[in-house]
Amino acid sequence: MRALVGICLLAAGALVPGPAAAQETEALRKELEQMRRQFETMKEGYEKAINQLSDRLKTIESRPAAPAAVPAAAAPGTAVPAVASREQMLSQAQPGIPISPTELARPREPFSLYERRGTGQLLFDMGIAGDFVANFTQRNVDKANAGTFSGRENRFFPREVELSLFGQIDPFARGEVIIETGEEPNETGELTLRLAEAHLTLLTLPFNTQLKMGQMRNRFGLLNQLHAHDRPFIDSPNVLTRFVGEEGLVERGAELTWVAPLPFFLEGLVGVFNGDNEDAFGRGKLSEPLVTGRLRTFFELGDFGAIQLGVSVANGETPERRRNTLFGFDAKYKWAPSGWQQPLLTVLGELIYQERRINVLGEDTDGDGVQDTPDETRRRNRLGWYVGGEVRPFRTGWQKGLGAGFRYDWTQYPVMRGREWAAGPFISYQPSEFLRFRLGYKHTQRTADRADFSENESSARKVDEILFQATFILGAHPAHPF
Amino acid sequence: MRTLLRALGTGLLALGLSAGGAEAADRIRVVATTTDLKALTEAVGGSLVEADALARGNQNAHDLEVRPSLMVKVRRADVLVINGLELDQWAEVVVRGANNPNVMPGAPGRVDASSGILVLEVPRARVDRSMGDVHPLGNPHYTGDPGMAPVITTNILEGLARVAPQHRATFERNRQEFLTRLAQAMTRWSADLAPFKGAKVIVDHNMWLYFLTRFGLVQAGSIEERPGIPPTPGHLTRLIASMKEEKIRVVLTVPWGDQKLAERVAQEAGAKAVVVASAVGAVKGADTYLDTIDYNVKAVAQALK
Repeated sequence: MRALVGICLLAAGALVPGPAAAQETEALRKELEQMRRQFETMKEGYEKAINQLSDRLKTIESRPAAPAAVPAAAAPGTAVPAVASREQMLSQAQPGIPISPTELARPREPFSLYERRGTGQLLFDMGIAGDFVANFTQRNVDKANAGTFSGRENRFFPREVELSLFGQIDPFARGEVIIETGEEPNETGELTLRLAEAHLTLLTLPFNTQLKMGQMRNRFGLLNQLHAHDRPFIDSPNVLTRFVGEEGLVERGAELTWVAPLPFFLEGLVGVFNGDNEDAFGRGKLSEPLVTGRLRTFFELGDFGAIQLGVSVANGETPERRRNTLFGFDAKYKWAPSGWQQPLLTVLGELIYQERRINVLGEDTDGDGVQDTPDETRRRNRLGWYVGGEVRPFRTGWQKGLGAGFRYDWTQYPVMRGREWAAGPFISYQPSEFLRFRLGYKHTQRTADRADFSENESSARKVDEILFQATFILGAHPAHPF
Repeated sequence: MRTLLRALGTGLLALGLSAGGAEAADRIRVVATTTDLKALTEAVGGSLVEADALARGNQNAHDLEVRPSLMVKVRRADVLVINGLELDQWAEVVVRGANNPNVMPGAPGRVDASSGILVLEVPRARVDRSMGDVHPLGNPHYTGDPGMAPVITTNILEGLARVAPQHRATFERNRQEFLTRLAQAMTRWSADLAPFKGAKVIVDHNMWLYFLTRFGLVQAGSIEERPGIPPTPGHLTRLIASMKEEKIRVVLTVPWGDQKLAERVAQEAGAKAVVVASAVGAVKGADTYLDTIDYNVKAVAQALK
């Protein structure tokens, strides 16, 4: 009881304001008063600045709009009138006259002269890329659906028509959504609309890292991350088609990149994905994820040459719960002499090595209806590669859009026995940055007919194809990386 | 194998540490997209900055290939100075690949040098790519006009002061000294070109409008019929005919342009093709911003004589 009384007395003593508390209140009052005065001073300052800006704006608006000093050479119908006259421009900043930085030249970030900004100021970038392909081949290849674009032999079709929307989400992140359509490989001409990519990238993470998450084309090797219209060849190299399918590795998950603090470029990447790709993985579970990694480096070779080297890995499970690991090695070299806007020579290549385990069912070897050999797991270590390049021999004029290239492919099949090689030249013409045509020939030879290459009991061991590609870009399109 | 990996790891760590040591230097690391902006940054920053440029002086800054070596430069930058007005849009891809939050859009280390510039040729009507590779925000070649330097250097000063506010006074002093030298040179340049006021010239690419307007010269046409699109024979025929008719004596061309074509057009029209410095470092003798303008003024004045 005594203890309880003691506690109550102590608590009451603490609650009763003493002389010290009174001093503290006084100090707080003074502090508040000081803050109020500071606020008043700031307010006055801002009001003054706003009034000055308003006066400046009125002065600018009251100036007569003199005829613009546009070049007389502007094409008829395409004349682009200038909003600023020569007098206005000269009056803006004449070094011969003493300049008051506050009066004349202080930037008004994020505000600027209203003429400069359009109505799309807060809108993201939009672009459309159209990629159309034509394929001509032999009748037996057509019948067997064994051409480069299986099921679309001897057709002109939209391979990829994409709507891209991209831009800053906020100061910390960037977003990109790509919706695409293309013809399905079933000769009916049916188009399907699908989400090609949708991802956000956190740009301001510590330790020079960035995190990209969503649905994306994986950064595995050189070409997998590029959409068909951005690739340097008409068709996808055979090794990519065989090992990761015609669509390539497009996965849902996240990639973390890191640029090393080194005097040369070294980028590291790790990714974790569902593993939805049916050709190589297909387990589709984050509990047994597809894990990817990539190291990329780059060296300038003199003033005009440059080479990029990369190694990639993708490790995941197949639907049969067997492990598959793909190792990728890639290199790209470009040479652009002084004064050339486009590379005179581009050479690139990729090699993929697969370590895959598959289930093989036991066989009835003597035909008695009883399985004689047990089910077993076998290893499929397979290899494939391609090397190709393009020469654009003209520096200027309309001819600078002309190019000629070649690609050689060699690949084993990832699961079945056999291999194939292909070779083909192509020519290209690019009238502008936004329009391109390519015409090529491709010869493919396969060591054996495969079940999926010989539909309708037709043989397609030797395939000759003429390929044509027309690509256009409408609106915004990001600059191409090396 | 383990020994090899350990050696590799140690080597990378050592390289990283040495790079880190360099980063520890006291100077502000600035990367500018063009050599003009690099030179103006050096004028403001003086010995307090270590500036580098992404595009070389003799390169076309419209269409630069995004090389990872550019990302290495930006990765270490405290400040990135961009030209803006969509001249150097490729810089965004470089920035994203560099993983450097200091210079991401909206970061304090990001400087858009075009802020506050009174831009010429801002389209009032709808533009599309039938007009070529037009710049929808207006002509972005304002650094060719020395009269724009006060605004550009103010933008740079503000950017540097955001990153290193303790050096603001030094930046302001450097800037004033530079502007004083610029004003003296401007008097000389204006006098050099005064006799040719109203003279018409032809350009290969529409990048001299600010410069010509500043000194009272007139851009009467361009070899490029539309930006970024090679000219048609019909356009060249019309251009040569108009040059003859209007007695135009000078064709301005740049190091990355089609100089042979410029010379052919000039020859057929009885004019002279003159190579001008499209940016600092584009030609021999154009080593600083003032030297570059000096070079161009002399080249144009000489050709117009």
